Amino acid sequence: MAAKDANDQTSKTGLIFFPAFDWAISPTHPEREERLLYTRDQIFEEGLMDLPEIEEYKPRLATLKDISRVHFCVPNVEAQVTEAHMIAAGSVLTLADAKEEGAIRNGFALVRPPGHHSMMVVHGNRGFCNVNNMAIMVEYLRTKYGHKKIAIVDTDVHHGDGTQDIFWHDPDVLFISFHQNGRTLYPGSGFPNEMGGPQALGRTLNIPLPPGTTDEGIHYVLDNFILPVLEEFRPDLVLNSAGQDNHYTDPLANMRFSANGYARLNEKLAPDICVLEGGYAIETALPYVNTAIIQAMAGLDYSHVREPDYVPGMFVQSVEMKKEIEATIEQLQEIWDNRDRLVEDALAEHGQFFRRRKRIFYDTDMINESQEETVRLCDSCHGYTTIASQAQRGYGILNSAFCISLPRNACSSCREDAREEFEEHKEDGKFNYIYLQDKQKDIYHSYETRTRNHRSY
Amino acid sequence: MLIGIDVGGTTTDAVLVEGGKVFRSACVPTEHNNLLGCLLSALDKLTDGVPPQKIERVVLSTTLITNMIAEDKIDPVALVLIPGPGANTKDYNLGQDVFILDGATDYSGREIQKLDEPQVRASAQDLAKKGFKKIAIVGKFGQRNHAHELKTGEIVAKAVPNAQVELGHRVSGQLNFPRRAATTMLTAATKDKYQEFADQINAALKKREISAPVFILKADGGTLPLDKSVNMPVETIFSGPAASIMGVMALMPSSQTSVVVDIGGTTTDLALILSGKPLLSSKGARVNSLLTHVRAFAVKSVAIGGDSAVNVADDCINIGPHREGPALCLGGPGPTPTDALRLLGLSNIGDADLAEKAMYEVAEKLDCASKEAALRIVDAVVEKIVYHVNEMFHEWEQEPAYRVWEIMKKETLQAQNVVGVGGAAQPLVPLIAQKLGAKAVIPEYAPVANAIGAALARPTLTLNLRIDTQRGEYIIAEEGFAGRLNGKNVDLEQAEKMARQLMEERANKMGIGEYAKESEVTYSEIFNMVRGWSTVGRLLDIRMEIPAGIIPGWGRC
Repeated sequence: MAAKDANDQTSKTGLIFFPAFDWAISPTHPEREERLLYTRDQIFEEGLMDLPEIEEYKPRLATLKDISRVHFCVPNVEAQVTEAHMIAAGSVLTLADAKEEGAIRNGFALVRPPGHHSMMVVHGNRGFCNVNNMAIMVEYLRTKYGHKKIAIVDTDVHHGDGTQDIFWHDPDVLFISFHQNGRTLYPGSGFPNEMGGPQALGRTLNIPLPPGTTDEGIHYVLDNFILPVLEEFRPDLVLNSAGQDNHYTDPLANMRFSANGYARLNEKLAPDICVLEGGYAIETALPYVNTAIIQAMAGLDYSHVREPDYVPGMFVQSVEMKKEIEATIEQLQEIWDNRDRLVEDALAEHGQFFRRRKRIFYDTDMINESQEETVRLCDSCHGYTTIASQAQRGYGILNSAFCISLPRNACSSCREDAREEFEEHKEDGKFNYIYLQDKQKDIYHSYETRTRNHRSY
Repeated sequence: MLIGIDVGGTTTDAVLVEGGKVFRSACVPTEHNNLLGCLLSALDKLTDGVPPQKIERVVLSTTLITNMIAEDKIDPVALVLIPGPGANTKDYNLGQDVFILDGATDYSGREIQKLDEPQVRASAQDLAKKGFKKIAIVGKFGQRNHAHELKTGEIVAKAVPNAQVELGHRVSGQLNFPRRAATTMLTAATKDKYQEFADQINAALKKREISAPVFILKADGGTLPLDKSVNMPVETIFSGPAASIMGVMALMPSSQTSVVVDIGGTTTDLALILSGKPLLSSKGARVNSLLTHVRAFAVKSVAIGGDSAVNVADDCINIGPHREGPALCLGGPGPTPTDALRLLGLSNIGDADLAEKAMYEVAEKLDCASKEAALRIVDAVVEKIVYHVNEMFHEWEQEPAYRVWEIMKKETLQAQNVVGVGGAAQPLVPLIAQKLGAKAVIPEYAPVANAIGAALARPTLTLNLRIDTQRGEYIIAEEGFAGRLNGKNVDLEQAEKMARQLMEERANKMGIGEYAKESEVTYSEIFNMVRGWSTVGRLLDIRMEIPAGIIPGWGRC
């Protein structure tokens, strides 16, 4: 598991509870003011914040730069985020700092709005998400504290397609997502064959599960695949995109996970930081699941947390389901075991550049985006990436953007070429917006063609 | 004429106030085992020759309950909990005498598991057999639905003859079950001794023909009629610091931001008055090891004072936290900050030669002149206090917030005044103020600011109203009262109107009806309850408060 660092001096669990009681996507939307109300009632009534094992923190605001380190927000960050998003992202960074400073052993950002469906390019809200809190934390941790290898385990019932997109080409970020399979649930992706870009094959691992998967099934996946893989990957940090919609009462999904199952998962996974994603059974699941997760992270007894209607043994995994899950894990094990060979083969097959086309649908904002992504397969660094993106709403063109991302270890040749492309597109008038994300120098440029306005953070 | 008496740890201070002036003050040493005696002797000194009918109001602040709890002179209480699902009650460290019952209520006050009445009866028998006379019964979310607590109380009262039973929902309406349990337990433990004290006060005043209303000061700087306070004795803890803060509030211009510095022998108490309002602790007070729901001013105790022992180790000056005795200049065993102040001529307490001797002792170890040693000691004291003042402001700014606007307003305040009360404050306050860029103030009457605070504090009162339109119900937490709503549609404005009216009724019941108009809405929230895609009801929570303040009679500001 996570390499033990010198920071493990404290036994405290950091908690930021930011329910955004005055923010909603729309009044009756699942992502509304009421979502964490009963969770507030339960965790406050339990007196969890008073316990010596738990330290409550106040969130801060993320900066525009923190967000630009991950996203290309079109036309700009301000247009894509509300204050609530800046606070949710800032909460995660506050805990990241507390963890790095050794003030806490682990932390849970119990915040909304969520983020794991937000991809690298952002034209609007998709899957209730605008910006990716988890990814923003990962890039912050790497920039500020120099972490290299990070593992993200996405335990939300929906495939974490945004996080997957952001780290697709990054061999140093291991992204594992288990979820109700894409044939039966939004966003329709997350199959085992989605396993990362040519340089990072096998560093994206998707575990689709059949609807109705129980505690038993999820813990099978954890014990027999996720934990051993983490052990082998040896990340500096393990982070959990902690959605709570695998719960058996969630109205938007069909799984059969319990509060106790969630607690045990976090106990075994022992994530350094948990970030809340989805979970919309606001009365029947969230108060209990959140209480249990906090207790598990703080090393407290969670065995007394039980949903009012839960009877141990009420869900039994069928033989077919067991077989299906075992087969999926077998397939993934093969991908994981062969990851280095997969990368070798892929690099031999592609030339200097790797290209892919993507179509992305923003369900909340009804936007269709088409992307052409190009990665330079560089021998000396991770290579720079460009994304030519065009977004349509209805029949009208909404915006077009050309986005360039320079990796942290960019070589001089990639730097030069990326810079050249940036200057070229500034002049050729093909796109409304041109962006250059320079992770190496931690500077983020944006350029609007119409006004010739250049900004950088 | 108004009377304020503060029975403190070492002295009992009393003032008689009239027309914005202190007409007379009195001070007697506090005898630990005879608080009533001290109180009455201060009263007698104060009222000597004053016709009793001229006395309009008497306010007492006493350490009675604080001492009782600190010295563990309280009766054993059986704590009966109905915890339902959630934390393991052992994690709360609520003591040995805890009895757990089945049954559960959820966050919305819905019964999710029935009370097991045969089990309750069996537990009640057990309590009777074990000889418990004081029993606190507290259910998780009992403030949202009183049924389980009421039923259990009924069964226990029947089974345990002459039992004193306290129910959690009557003690606090706020969320936090372990704090409610602790507060209920302490209420049960102290109630009859407090009643005894109240009876003695009433009898003593009657004997002196003082018929003015008698109030007691609470930790939140508010008063309550003595007769009504017998139901909530725990709220009288920590009234001493509250008295000092209220005193400063009365003696300072309104709406300013001040740091109140009370420097004693071994501790310095810090408190904040922010834009004229004393800062309340965001959570309830801690009483020994127990966290309670008692609202109290945020007071930070720093282990440093005039008598703190001064030691030198590795060229560094260490001050406190312990005390070896009085200052050397007052005949004590070793050097203290008081000696440093004496040597520098910042105070004239004690013998100058002895102070010189004390500082020489320190200077020798530091290899410097006595005067420099004294300066370094004073600097260290000031440094430490300033550090903690800044921490207090920081902690206040860092209090968690749960709404976007609360985070966005990002208020920061700076101290305008540093107000000194207490013995060693006078010479140090200007130095502290200088470091904080504030004005140093030692108010007139500073030595009796605590008694003035008691004399002038007005009542405080809180009312939490929760309306659940889906269930068609409203609950007044403090009254343990649940009522039916007339209509299904309640908006925030109507709810606040309703709260105002209920507050008026409650204030009347508490005998402080004339202050109801001072009440304000300090918290309100409304949530639409959406099930599926339609709104099925609303949850409204309104908190009304008569905040701490100074009675109009003072008329100085």
